Amino acid sequence: MKNKTFRKAEPYIWILPSIILMAIFILVPIVFVFRMSLSEVSKAGIIRGFSGFANFTKVMNSSAFKLVLRNTIVWTVAVVVLSTVLGFILALMLNNEFRGRKIARAIMVFPWATTLVIQASAWKFIIDTDYGTLNTLLLRLGIIDKAINWTPTAGAYFTWEIACGIFVTIPFVTFCVLSGLQSIDTSYYEAATVDGASYWQQLFQITMPLVSSSLTVSTVLNIIYVFNSFPIIWTITKGDPANHTDTLVTYLYKLAFYNGKQGQAAAVSVIGFTILLICASVYMVYTLRKGDD
Amino acid sequence: MTKKPGSLKKLILRILLYAVIFVVCIITLYPYFAMFCTALKSRAEIFSMEGTILPITSLWSNFLDIWHRAPMANYLFNSLLIAGGSTIIAMLCGIPAAYALARMKFKGQTIFLGFVIVSQMFAPVVLLIGIYKVMSILSLTDSIIGLVFINAAFNQAFTIWLLRGTFIGISVEMEQAATIDGCNRIQGMTKVLLPVAAPGIVTTLIFIFINAWNEYTVALCLISTSEREPLTVGINIFNGYNMIEWQYLFAASLFAIVPVVILFMGIEKNLVSGLASGGVKG
Repeated sequence: MKNKTFRKAEPYIWILPSIILMAIFILVPIVFVFRMSLSEVSKAGIIRGFSGFANFTKVMNSSAFKLVLRNTIVWTVAVVVLSTVLGFILALMLNNEFRGRKIARAIMVFPWATTLVIQASAWKFIIDTDYGTLNTLLLRLGIIDKAINWTPTAGAYFTWEIACGIFVTIPFVTFCVLSGLQSIDTSYYEAATVDGASYWQQLFQITMPLVSSSLTVSTVLNIIYVFNSFPIIWTITKGDPANHTDTLVTYLYKLAFYNGKQGQAAAVSVIGFTILLICASVYMVYTLRKGDD
Repeated sequence: MTKKPGSLKKLILRILLYAVIFVVCIITLYPYFAMFCTALKSRAEIFSMEGTILPITSLWSNFLDIWHRAPMANYLFNSLLIAGGSTIIAMLCGIPAAYALARMKFKGQTIFLGFVIVSQMFAPVVLLIGIYKVMSILSLTDSIIGLVFINAAFNQAFTIWLLRGTFIGISVEMEQAATIDGCNRIQGMTKVLLPVAAPGIVTTLIFIFINAWNEYTVALCLISTSEREPLTVGINIFNGYNMIEWQYLFAASLFAIVPVVILFMGIEKNLVSGLASGGVKG
């Protein structure tokens, strides 16, 4: 009898440490954020009492928020879409046998392994107008004869930040797709070639369907990462000038830790993960439906 | 007659392939090259009007100067402590959980796995205010131990995901045989399953280590004493508000990059197949 109860309880003992860890450091913070978003919070972070949706209305009515939300969407969509397309093409290329393939693969690991703050500092230095190496390089090569201001506007800064985001995201896509590509049985292609299928036909009718699962994994994870990405923007512009390069995460960081508006920052957090949750459920519904077919 | 244009086309494609890969590699390496060259320059040379790509005089002393211009040894030690500690805790909690998910059937299994996956959506940065509050309650703000637990917690999803995939991929038969020989579950796991799963475990371990080593945002927010900062935050001491000491910033950065890039090269192949297979089986 005792043995039986132990058997039933056993799995829960095994997962208990993990549950405790995640409960304290993820679940409790989530609860706090939700509570704070619905409360009046003092500058020191003390919850003063229920205030309904006051924080949300304050956030939504501020002119900065609309800009920030737009930036976040542009940032996420541009980085995820472009890095997925470029990463996919790169994976197709790396899937060929050629000399130096191992070296090429090793080099492409670099941006993935490097911490984003350092990546971003390097790019900030490269594009600097006065002493950046991009200008130096182009001047030395004789391509330009006067230093170019690469970041004349906030929009230009934001574009460079997106470029930096794409740069660091490509390797992840490439390696995910590559692992999918390498698990495809070559006999499919041999059969298709015998049947006279062109390269493009093979790409769309054999390759794409078979790597779609690795592509979905990388895309879903990238949407989450890029949406929540903080260091690139923080290092290059800190969201300046006047919120023109802010995304939700840099905006909420400033609200909470610079302006002492923790309640509003919590509201921005809640809005942020509501958006992600909608994206995730769309994805879930889509994949579940595909599973049914 | 029909063969010739085909092989010419192949040759052109081949050259194109090499050209594109070459350009991509150059662009990828460029920031590192620029960092390295800048780390060797003097301040005057960096800001000079007649800029050069390569340093005119290589100041290797920059790599030594950073050690007494900033508490670099502290930063390095803290990063090691944070990354090492997070890895140990994440594994200690993650291995049993992944084992239970792979080898046992229990009520709430899907809910648990669901929570693990959903927890991925919450990056620490969106929860910072909540995390800060929890840390104040536990009086762990401005402490390395606090960062260790946060990194371990936010890496649980990956740990469980990767390990569960690894364990599922290994046949149960050997463990069953061991049970017949009188081993209990824990012995079956430690003596039979874990050695076979070693490659997957090492991959997971290194991946968590790298993630924690590279973590920036939470450390930036929680740590207020300079001596307790990890490298990612600490090196910004050279990134002053009015003046950036690029040569020192990049010299210090290279110390933060090199070990991790080498580790990453070692696990890249296993890691990706683990991610993908975990995804398929999930």
